[in-house]
Amino acid sequence: MKDVLKRIVFGKREKYWWMNALVPLISILLAFIVGAIFIKITGRSPVVAYKLLFGASGLFPGPYWKSHFAEMLLSSSMYIATGLGFAIAAKGGLFNIGAEGHFIVGGIAAAYLGYAKPFAGLPKFIHLPLIIVGVMLAGGIWGAIAGYLKAKRGIHEVITTIMLNWIALYLIEAWLVIGPMEAAVETGISGTPYISLSAKLPKILPPTRLNISIIIILAVTFLIWYLFYKTTFGYEIRTMGHTLMFGMEAPKAAGINVERRTIQTMFIAGAVAALGGAFMVLGVLFQYPPIFEGGYGFDGIAVALIGQNEPLGVILAGILIGALRTGATTVQLAHIPKTFPSIIEGFTVGFIALQMLIRYWIMKLIQGRKKSVQTEMGGGAK
Amino acid sequence: MKALEVKGIVKQFPGVLANDNINLSINKGEIYAIVGENGAGKSTLMKIIYGLYTPTSGEIFVFDKKVDIKTPYDAIGLKIGMVHQEFMLIPRFTVTQNIVLGDEPSKGIVFDYKKALNEVEELSEKFGLKVDPAEKVANLPVGIQQRVEILKILRRGAEILIFDEPTAVLTPEETEDLFKTLMKLKKNGKTIIFISHKLKEVIAIADRIAVLRRGKLQGIVERGKTSEVELARMVVGRDVVLKIPKAEAKVGGTVVSIRDLTVKSKRGIIGLKEVSFDVCAGEIVGIAGVEGNGQAELVNALIGFTRPIKGTIAFDGEEIRVITPFNIRKKGMAYIPKDRKMRGLVLPFRSRENIIMGQHTLYPFSKNGVLNNIEIDKFTTKKLEEFDVRPRDIHTRARNLSGGNQQKLILAKEMSMEHKFLLASQPTRGLDIGAMEFVYHKLIEEKERGMAILLISLELSEIMGLSDRILVLYNGEIVGETTPDKTTEEELGLMMLGLKKQKRVAQ
Repeated sequence: MKDVLKRIVFGKREKYWWMNALVPLISILLAFIVGAIFIKITGRSPVVAYKLLFGASGLFPGPYWKSHFAEMLLSSSMYIATGLGFAIAAKGGLFNIGAEGHFIVGGIAAAYLGYAKPFAGLPKFIHLPLIIVGVMLAGGIWGAIAGYLKAKRGIHEVITTIMLNWIALYLIEAWLVIGPMEAAVETGISGTPYISLSAKLPKILPPTRLNISIIIILAVTFLIWYLFYKTTFGYEIRTMGHTLMFGMEAPKAAGINVERRTIQTMFIAGAVAALGGAFMVLGVLFQYPPIFEGGYGFDGIAVALIGQNEPLGVILAGILIGALRTGATTVQLAHIPKTFPSIIEGFTVGFIALQMLIRYWIMKLIQGRKKSVQTEMGGGAK
Repeated sequence: MKALEVKGIVKQFPGVLANDNINLSINKGEIYAIVGENGAGKSTLMKIIYGLYTPTSGEIFVFDKKVDIKTPYDAIGLKIGMVHQEFMLIPRFTVTQNIVLGDEPSKGIVFDYKKALNEVEELSEKFGLKVDPAEKVANLPVGIQQRVEILKILRRGAEILIFDEPTAVLTPEETEDLFKTLMKLKKNGKTIIFISHKLKEVIAIADRIAVLRRGKLQGIVERGKTSEVELARMVVGRDVVLKIPKAEAKVGGTVVSIRDLTVKSKRGIIGLKEVSFDVCAGEIVGIAGVEGNGQAELVNALIGFTRPIKGTIAFDGEEIRVITPFNIRKKGMAYIPKDRKMRGLVLPFRSRENIIMGQHTLYPFSKNGVLNNIEIDKFTTKKLEEFDVRPRDIHTRARNLSGGNQQKLILAKEMSMEHKFLLASQPTRGLDIGAMEFVYHKLIEEKERGMAILLISLELSEIMGLSDRILVLYNGEIVGETTPDKTTEEELGLMMLGLKKQKRVAQ
């Protein structure tokens, strides 16, 4: 069992395989320590703050645990979706900043397919899968635009995805939501009309709001893992990601169609990130509001970085960020602004960025210990 | 006065003796050239002097004082500067910013750009090296960028300047300019060490020339007391260390035929001019030539990285209009790249993942797009054994393999793919003798199996020993065609250096 787990999670035969998990854990720990110092400096008690934060995060049993837990998974599913959006592209050597755009494109597509006439009357078991497919297509196409521009025109994906984010935002907020998709005035609703009952995600833990989004995203994560590590497609995009520094010459010389894979990778990344927007609309808001406070897309980058761009890591990191956000409102009881968890998140990403240094420290620690045991010294640390 | 003296320098790398007891003494104010083939140990020696490597044994004296150079900082402190082949400049910075980088004049804590500008202007005047201090480096031609590099080390007070193959990236005009610069520096009392494998240049500029071959010092000649031919003989050496088994060629039909191929180089100039030749089944065609004479362009055109501006490439009698790596491989081309880390392998990948690259979509490695790990492991285990890749562990990452084993892994990968034509671009580059021999044996095995092989090599002994036919590439053109029994290494060497042309038999 242990061996199977090791194979799945950390790859095979790695001498220091646990390092891949230890580095993010140390980063998170360091971030909490720095966070505590901040709280202390402002004259408040870090112990109280963290107690409140974790008490309401849904990670640990406590008062109202069921509802906290549900809320945590609800937001985690969205962070995992956008996190995967970044991680998939990163595996193929692409730096995808576009998850924010994919997320809202997915949201608006879900809202439209949820209320629009020909679909709204369908039975749930047809309607819901239809919406999911539609959302993934919409997000996928939005992602593939950036992929196309990168592959065929050589325009860097960071530029195009950022621009596409803004294009999506203004298309939606400055046109669709107050124009063609606006709810009729007499209904008194601002934003798009509410989606039909058949479009709502089924709840799984009544009376809480928790719905099947977490199950869907876990299934998708598994599929992505399968895609990465078991298929020729995943193999090809990994060769691209690993040779980014060398202009992907090795896969090109081996006959891999790098351009087509770039477009396809961005399509999949967009499709998965768009799912997050669908979860928001189909499971939480039930419509697309006139102004949507997003940020899930950008937090997705943090999730992917903390999760080291690995599917399992993204799940764990997504749950962590989801928990921090769920607990965020309660830290206000300790007179700390609810944006505080963002600081923790930021520091974690910061420390992750220093991971080579952290790895080096750990290696030194290991080697230092070995040296004190043995008298002779082996080769130095790499 | 001696500027630099090395005594008994030995550098042992695992499996290869890069420098074997080298003694040199270089006078102040002299231009001292070190020549030798690729892998002769020139760069290793310079890296030892510059503190990038520590010698296994030996002593270094700088201005008659025994020194211990552990890092480049020590070297800079001893007034030794190095102009690397790859420039270490920041393109978006101005000339001035680049020159003062790391040791900036300041006003309090603020960078004093005005003062820096003045300093650079003064410096440039003092040594007669004209640059525009306010221009961005990105806008400068390569020759001027090199000048900026030189100014950079001069500003640090360098007295001994090492140039590592400085003309490799320059056009002939820029080379002329560089030589003028070197003479100016000499007049200013600087000592210059000039590493090159271009004999003509060395004879034109150097006061003394040291020849290295296979890590050993072959001799030191003085200016005007040698000829290019004599120097070439010293560089190449007559003794062939490696025994290459001969195999009779059973030449079959034409596999690849190239006509009037003209290709632009990465720098946008014509790198290959109207080259035509055929490669037949069961023969090894060797392309001899000094690096940078069109080899890269030929390879890139053949594998579809660069589109030729003129000419055709036909495979099995069928002309391929647009070559992509995918379609040429499908036709049956295998490719051993000269740069294994860049083109041959995915370094973070394991042996089992690397060995299937390019054939991963084929049965039995995958079916319907799903990889078959059991088959891949079985195949890898077999191939690691067959090609003697060490360690035999299929899970070793390519980055942790030695150069020789990386090359064996590439051979295993390429030769197990179905192919009729093998393009081997410097297949023994940077390998030790043992691995070299392995590669030779594999190439001959391939030939005996009836493959058409195009061997591009800088090593004359390799070309002479392996090829059935030899084409000599000089300045993007084929200047001669011969066979190993009709020529000598000396003659080939002369052709490679453009000193002797030979009429080709019309095809």
